[in-house]
Amino acid sequence: MRTKVLHVVRREYLQQIKTKGFWIATILIPALGLGFVFLQVLLSSTLIPEGKIGVVDLTGRLYEPLLLEQKSVSDTDGDAKPAGPEAKPDETAKRMPTKITFLSVPATSGTLAEVRKELNAKVQKKELKAYIVIPEDGLSSGKVEWRARSVKADMFLRESVGRALGRAATKERLRDQGVDPAVYEKARLNVKLDPREASEKETPEDAKNEGANLAISGILFMLIYMSIFVYGAQIMRGVLEEKSNRIVEVIVSSVRPTELMLGKIIGIGLVGLTQYAVWALFAFTLTLPGIVGFVGLANGSIPSIPVGTLVAFVVFFLLGYFVYAGLYAAFAAPFNSDQEAQQFVMIPGMMLIISAMTWIFAYNTPDGTFARVLSIFPFTSPLLMFMRISVQPPPAWEIALSIGLLLLTIWGVSWFAGRVYRVGILMYGKKPTFPEIIRWVREAD
Amino acid sequence: MTAAISLSGVTKRFGKFTAVDRLDLEVPVGVTFGLLGPNGAGKTTTIRMTMNITKADEGTVRILGRTLDEEGQQRIGYLPEERGLYRKMTVLDQLLFFAAIKGVERKTALERLERWIDVMDLRPWLKKKTEELSKGMQQKVQFLGTIVHDPEVLILDEPFSGLDPINVVLLKDFLLDFKRHGKTIVFSTHVMEQAEKLCDRIALIYRGNKLLDGTVKEVKAAYRDRVPLPPPVEPEPELEKIFIKAVEESGLAAPTQEELR
Repeated sequence: MRTKVLHVVRREYLQQIKTKGFWIATILIPALGLGFVFLQVLLSSTLIPEGKIGVVDLTGRLYEPLLLEQKSVSDTDGDAKPAGPEAKPDETAKRMPTKITFLSVPATSGTLAEVRKELNAKVQKKELKAYIVIPEDGLSSGKVEWRARSVKADMFLRESVGRALGRAATKERLRDQGVDPAVYEKARLNVKLDPREASEKETPEDAKNEGANLAISGILFMLIYMSIFVYGAQIMRGVLEEKSNRIVEVIVSSVRPTELMLGKIIGIGLVGLTQYAVWALFAFTLTLPGIVGFVGLANGSIPSIPVGTLVAFVVFFLLGYFVYAGLYAAFAAPFNSDQEAQQFVMIPGMMLIISAMTWIFAYNTPDGTFARVLSIFPFTSPLLMFMRISVQPPPAWEIALSIGLLLLTIWGVSWFAGRVYRVGILMYGKKPTFPEIIRWVREAD
Repeated sequence: MTAAISLSGVTKRFGKFTAVDRLDLEVPVGVTFGLLGPNGAGKTTTIRMTMNITKADEGTVRILGRTLDEEGQQRIGYLPEERGLYRKMTVLDQLLFFAAIKGVERKTALERLERWIDVMDLRPWLKKKTEELSKGMQQKVQFLGTIVHDPEVLILDEPFSGLDPINVVLLKDFLLDFKRHGKTIVFSTHVMEQAEKLCDRIALIYRGNKLLDGTVKEVKAAYRDRVPLPPPVEPEPELEKIFIKAVEESGLAAPTQEELR
């Protein structure tokens, strides 16, 4: 590479690194990220179902069992959450703690209308959070009314009460069949699938942790996405700045326009890598013993990132960056202001957003047709091929094809961008139309 | 002797509009050359083609006897009409960057700048960002950026436009100094007075065609019979000189940058 390009790279890099904005963003982004996680933890503790619930039990059989179920919730186990490794097989995971109290409201089908009136008033006055009406055939139909001030709010409370009621009803129905309800608790078994790769070598524990996997793939995926977006915009601003400061013609009397563009792209790319390096350092510091306990992250174990995923991350970040950086440079060069450039810059923006929105296909069905096509199409592949690799490595030829097409695209985009850039940076005044830009590309040599 | 700049049959079209039409120009080494013409005559396009910033559709451009390559670029100082500086860069970083992309080592650049920094009163501003400088001061930095690599040929597009009288004088002195050192200067202008004072040779272009070309003396001789002579005038001091004298005699210090901003 010619030394002039290096001087441009150096200037771009140092100018960015020297700004306060760079360091503020570098520190603020992970701080905000961590803050967000803590906030979620904090908020989720306020989501504990809570409140006084009136119970109108027309079957006359469910109120007492419901109370029992509710009582057992606070100290024992029950459903959904997967068991920790320390849990014994017959013991199922913890139930969500609740602070629900029930209030029995005696009624018959005759007095129901009047009782309802009274209860509605209490709910409106907030003396009761809600009340439920179990009809006479409740034990067979499973239909129970939930009356609250809003039909939308208190989702967790409603679900919690529903689950307790379900368990109570199931036990009553077993009793009807002559089975001791105690058998139910003993017989209940939550099955947990232990995911392993179909190969002789054992999958490391970390890789089986789906939550952590999703988090890692997701975070790295978002990093690629955001970086391309942020640094792409940076390139656009840089190009426009050089134009509006009228400096670009001074520079291109010494440096070829394509070299100026290349230098800019590489320089800003290095700024991005520097930011990653700082973050990696942060992350490394967080995993030091002691700090982990202090921060209380992930029960003291931060899952390690598989090497393959890391390599794919770097490769596809760089390839994606070069594809999009070229586009941003090309789409900024013909214009004089952010506003003018906006409509064209939307094109790479939309392509990025589409890649980001379709991540779930690559995550859930990495070998589905849709995921395969998107992970080979060069404008979505940087994000989606990365996601596929991190979930389930696709055949080598697909990765090779994806990388090959990306390299080809980088070449094509650079060619196109170089031509638009060369003409565009010297064009002032009238905003050019798309056909005019195409003409520049054809005529420039 | 090889010409500093030689254009032959150079043509540039933008769509149907022919900006420059089969233009021939020859600028000998050591000559100060004025490229004259009204706005839109094709001066900037001609200069850009000379600098290989815009490619000529036809014809050849040779600078110092060869087509412009990287080495050639390093022997030319170019001040475009559309000019500016990086606003967020410090004056010194900026000058060093200009030197670097012209292939000048940092040490050499610093040595060379040393003299000019004092001539131009730039020392207190070296670590300041360009945007903090007054416009006049920015213009000085811009000149300095153009010559920091000690070029053999200077190509300036409307160098005097937008300068205040003090910087006009600074630039003129500077060009005369350059000329004394045997270097070649090409500049475009539509102000004939400047051309008359500074140039050895001129060319007049209009609508992309060359109308006149030659030494100032030759051109004047050719038109002596056809253009009325000016009435004889009493010699009197030039307004420009008066302006500078008055400023000097006021005994006031030049305004500081803080005051100007």
